[in-house]
Amino acid sequence: MKKTLILHCLFLLAVTAGNAMAEERQIGKVKALRGLVSIIRDGRTIPAFPNKAVLLSDVIITGSDGAVGILLDDNTLLSMGPISRISMNKFDFSPATNQYAMRLGMQQGSFVYRSGLLGKLAPHAVTMDTPVGTISMLKDSNFMAKFSEE
Amino acid sequence: MKSHLPLLLLAPLLLIGCAAKQNLIVLTPDNSGRAGALELNNAAGKAVIEEGGKAVTLASRQSRPEQASLSEAERTSLFGEALAVQPLPPVSYALTFEFGADALTPASQETIPKILAAIKERDSLDIKVIGHTDRVGEEAFNHALGLERAVVIRDILIAQGVEAGAISALSYGEGDPLVVTDDNVPEPQNRRVEVVVR
Repeated sequence: MKKTLILHCLFLLAVTAGNAMAEERQIGKVKALRGLVSIIRDGRTIPAFPNKAVLLSDVIITGSDGAVGILLDDNTLLSMGPISRISMNKFDFSPATNQYAMRLGMQQGSFVYRSGLLGKLAPHAVTMDTPVGTISMLKDSNFMAKFSEE
Repeated sequence: MKSHLPLLLLAPLLLIGCAAKQNLIVLTPDNSGRAGALELNNAAGKAVIEEGGKAVTLASRQSRPEQASLSEAERTSLFGEALAVQPLPPVSYALTFEFGADALTPASQETIPKILAAIKERDSLDIKVIGHTDRVGEEAFNHALGLERAVVIRDILIAQGVEAGAISALSYGEGDPLVVTDDNVPEPQNRRVEVVVR
């Protein structure tokens, strides 16, 4: 019985550690910013500023005078204007192991997307969830988009 | 009273204009004119967006995308703020060394000011200096030589006023050649330091 309990605890510990690691993974950096920009991370809202790391699972929001430019680790340039909201749902750029994935939630606002290495090497692995449907890349593409909240 | 009439007539038109552009996607062609292609998948089915420079609009998840025109003024009003904060793309430079030494070739000495300009332009605190060697000599020796070369460049940048904490110096030794060769073949192009400014 005692043994099972310990095993259980170890298992829980491993699971928690795994989750923590997944959420802490850096996927890019804030490079330029205007007005009020915040990051929602682990349920807390923290201010964004230039050179601040963007982590997997972050949600980034801009205020009515806000705008932010982000450089992702695969060289994708992502910027958004005022009253915008994006979630970093998935990001895997591992050329050494041939693993590529990007899934961004463009929930509301104006977005400018300039494709990086993920779009070039694996366009089919790039997806955006938007209020009007799912956008997938068929070929390497740059685009601008504006979405109203659903 | 009379003067208000044109405004009143215009109001419904403006509202329609806004509603139609609630959701909008526009492919922007790259420098060579290639626009790429996106697929939109929603309750109305699948649609391919592949015309560069032209916008599609749609009202909701239930609608199909429709072609729409996007004037320069609308483009600026919708995306001007986002475009203004778009980061500059990362840039990388290769500096080459004289054979077996840690002295830069004359051409590479002229690249240093370009690197400094790129750092300044980006306000970059994210500079990678990666040393590479050719395959002459032992792997361990080459790893150390690569690092030595990276440190030479790092110190040049610091001497020019770049913040030390913004630079990381590392070595790939003979492991990431520009030109693939057999072991122990001298290859000047592989004796280089790559500087990546993000």
